[in-house]
Amino acid sequence: MRKGPCMRRIGLSVVAMLMALAVAPAAFAQAREVVIGVLYPMTGPSAQIGIDARNIINVAVDIVNNGANINLPLAKSKGLPRLGGAKVRVVFVDHQGSAALGQSEAERLITQEKVHALLGAYQSAVTTTASQVAERMGIPFVNADSSSPALTERGFKWFFRTSPHDGHFSQVMFEFMQDFEKKRSIKFKSVAILNEDTTFGADSSKVQEELAKKYGYEVVAKIPFRTGTTSLDAEVGRLKDANADVLLPSLYTSDAILLTRTARNLDYNPKLIIAQDAGYTDPKFVTEMGKQAEAALTRAPFALDLAARKPLIPVVDEMFKKVSGGRDLADVSARAFTGFMTLVDAINRAGSTDPAAIQKALRESNIPADQLIMPWTGVKFDEKGQNIGVRAILQQLQGGSYQTVYPFELAAKDVVYPIPAWSQRR
Amino acid sequence: MVALGILLLAAVVFPWVFRLPYHRDLVIRIFLYAMLAQAWNILAGYCGQISLGHAVFFGTGAYTSTVLQVTWGVNPWLGLPAGIATAVALSLVIGYPCFRLRGHYFAIATIAVGEIVQTLAINWEFIGGARGLTIPFQKDSLLAFQFATSKYPYYYIMLALLAICMLVSWRIERTRLGYYFRAIREDPEAAQSVGISVTKYKLVAMAISAGVVAAGGTFYAQYVLYLDPDSVLPLSLSILVCLLAVVGGVGTLWGPLVGAALLIPLSEFTRIQFGGTGRAVDLLIYGALMTIVAVFQPAGLVGMFRRRLGHWGR
Amino acid sequence: MSMFHIPSSEMLIQGILSGILMGCLYALIAAGLSLIFGLMEIVNFAHGEFLMLGMYTTFWMYALFHLDPLLSVPISAAALFLLGWLTYKSIIRRILGGPMLAQIFATFGLGIFLRAAAQFLWTPDFRQISDPWVQGPVRILGVSVGKPQLVASVACLLAFGFLYWFITKTETGMALEATAQDRQAAALMGINTERMLTLGWGIGSACVGVAAAFLASFFYVFPYVGSLFALIAFVTVALGGFGSIPGSLVAGVIIGVIEVLGGILIAPAFKYVAVFGLYLVVVLVRPQGLFGKF
Repeated sequence: MRKGPCMRRIGLSVVAMLMALAVAPAAFAQAREVVIGVLYPMTGPSAQIGIDARNIINVAVDIVNNGANINLPLAKSKGLPRLGGAKVRVVFVDHQGSAALGQSEAERLITQEKVHALLGAYQSAVTTTASQVAERMGIPFVNADSSSPALTERGFKWFFRTSPHDGHFSQVMFEFMQDFEKKRSIKFKSVAILNEDTTFGADSSKVQEELAKKYGYEVVAKIPFRTGTTSLDAEVGRLKDANADVLLPSLYTSDAILLTRTARNLDYNPKLIIAQDAGYTDPKFVTEMGKQAEAALTRAPFALDLAARKPLIPVVDEMFKKVSGGRDLADVSARAFTGFMTLVDAINRAGSTDPAAIQKALRESNIPADQLIMPWTGVKFDEKGQNIGVRAILQQLQGGSYQTVYPFELAAKDVVYPIPAWSQRR
Repeated sequence: MVALGILLLAAVVFPWVFRLPYHRDLVIRIFLYAMLAQAWNILAGYCGQISLGHAVFFGTGAYTSTVLQVTWGVNPWLGLPAGIATAVALSLVIGYPCFRLRGHYFAIATIAVGEIVQTLAINWEFIGGARGLTIPFQKDSLLAFQFATSKYPYYYIMLALLAICMLVSWRIERTRLGYYFRAIREDPEAAQSVGISVTKYKLVAMAISAGVVAAGGTFYAQYVLYLDPDSVLPLSLSILVCLLAVVGGVGTLWGPLVGAALLIPLSEFTRIQFGGTGRAVDLLIYGALMTIVAVFQPAGLVGMFRRRLGHWGR
Repeated sequence: MSMFHIPSSEMLIQGILSGILMGCLYALIAAGLSLIFGLMEIVNFAHGEFLMLGMYTTFWMYALFHLDPLLSVPISAAALFLLGWLTYKSIIRRILGGPMLAQIFATFGLGIFLRAAAQFLWTPDFRQISDPWVQGPVRILGVSVGKPQLVASVACLLAFGFLYWFITKTETGMALEATAQDRQAAALMGINTERMLTLGWGIGSACVGVAAAFLASFFYVFPYVGSLFALIAFVTVALGGFGSIPGSLVAGVIIGVIEVLGGILIAPAFKYVAVFGLYLVVVLVRPQGLFGKF
């Protein structure tokens, strides 16, 4: 009984070690193709983010490689026209939310999988280290969704961010508050900041605190908490006591769900909530908690309800729903799609897989608004690598789905204010 | 002895043969985790105190040297001993009261300490809080402990650190200190009755263990150039370190190294092959393997080899 | 922002009440752990994953058969009883006499495996029971608390009562207790200790199953939900004293209250610092926990 399993185990471990060391890229040398490395978390609490990204990017690859009946330049032909029809191939990796893994995976993708560019990585911490590698090795790194403002302050030459960052988002929140005050002849005096305790929440709350002071609002509560906490009773208790005019939460999905439920149970009735996206725009949150989170506002990089003005949106949404098991296009998927298409567009314009050519093409990117599913004015990068065509909008949950309410010119619906108290609902 | 020489030669020559950065990165990480596991082994394997919060010392080392560097421009080579000293001091503060606890109570106390420290770090703005600290790029230089363009220096520094750690372990195993540790592990009351000051030697084991781990922390910080509480203080790191030692063979000299050499490539392999699918297949395999090894081969791989080959170590 | 916060009396009452309610839940989760430990000195590091599986069971009963969580309680308990029984037979039995480290990692690996299996089967997406019978607030002592939490804690107290009755008044229960006290002596007395150990795992896991069904009615379900609850459970068991069921109840409530009060009085970011800090203070004074046996 001893010998059999033992020998097998030794053999297995030797084989495993050899295989691990011999993880070599397959020889794809024949067909001309463009290889893009994509880093996202695919396991761990943020796994759904990575899965959404993966699904939408597969949709995008399909559009580019096989053409599609959609009004995008790259959908008109199979493959990349300026590279002789070369196909795009994506290598997905799971960085498990670890900054160190992000670093080594970026390295592996560049040196072993021989990717021509990188896209990723959602968590700002991982994006930090992964893009450091890209910068060192001279490979373009496009970031579609990390919101830490610091990422474009590093003086990097190979880093490009298509989406807005916390600064943009929080700015629009406060602009809204000022405009809304004028519109309704009311005055907000105090804000309460509630944030989960990872980089996302910490960054967001810092920016919001600064802006609050700048705009003259009193921060009556600043409450960071451990993400994934088992109970938000204490936090909501503090918020009730602070009784701010406006609540500014920066939460992931799980905490957003818990907050909404706890607010109901403990009878916490903030008059206005302006959320920092993330959990609040997760399709799951909308379908499950939509009714209960009625009248919550959130900043949104993406607005599904602008489908009327942007015919691209419903088409891409349909394609996404087929592979995502019915999940609608939303924040994460929309941004990943946009970042990816921006990158592919640049590679196409470069007409080559040479990194420097791609970098130059990215710098010269000028994608017009009608080729985007985002409500932006376009994609155009400044010298820091930040897209200056971004426009943040605010949406409000009304009747179980999000309606764009700000900027007022884009708004389809009026703002519901104040949020109806629990006792008055149902 | 000959085997040892061959192993050493192989280690030194490795980066010349395997030139891809990823392979070197993998082996560097194996060395780092092996050193952490070996340090843990000193406290848990030899001395019998199961700590599930060792990441605290890793984070202490990493943060100390990084904060000194980023805030006051202190050279990381000076930060290294500073980190070690801080970790040793911290270990004494933690150890002195906690060593009164036995078995599972002690283990859970170490988890509690780890969680407390991680929470404090997340909320301490001075050391970067949740956003962490970034070590700015400098030119490649031994003096600055940073090598952006090449892995060779990192490789040899880590190899040297690991070798020193193994040497320390070996000396402990062979000398009276090791006997005291083992006596405490087997039967603390008996040890006390023959005049071995149990608390004092537990603290010694803890201090050595903490110091070595802290050195690893500083190396990590200089290697990745970014740290935050989630990457250097999490419970998962503490658990990983124990796991490597357990699979390899806890309480033995070579166990932690064998454990790291097997498990790290295995987890990399499963993650690369299966991780990108989002189906967690790699973790399925990993978890199953952990359980299987624990159930069928609790003495670890080294224990298994020992039985078969009859000689080794001692 | 000052370090300490003076709460209003309403908030204080609400906090203490919420803490007690949640604490009962923590206590039941911990009780299962404590029972198992008392019998064979093994800590089930997959306990959080057992909880998670119980929650998924409850969720699927709701999603597929429209069974309210209240009705799923026996189903979840039974499913977890089976899980505990299987775990003992296939894994635990083989590591009983072995080194503590092997025991730790056997269950630890099981935990990782179960988490990964859940992600594999059901994706990492968050699931909720959107419309349970018991939902919304209820007013007690002039403050609002969650009705599901109230019902959950009452149920947990009942479960504790049942457990206590079982162990002290039934023959099987007394045999179980005897096995926990001294396995050899129990064997000599003719008790089938093997069956007792298996039963212990089954019952301990069933406790978690009950807690899981109630938790699922107000908490979201996903593969990693068990981790934090498990951590709290470990500290609860250690605080109460390994092997002491009443200890789990007292410790659970204390921790529930400290968690909320720590959040209200100091800062929610340090909620768990208060909990873990309390644990450290107590065991340093009483190394075997509040009611521990050794």
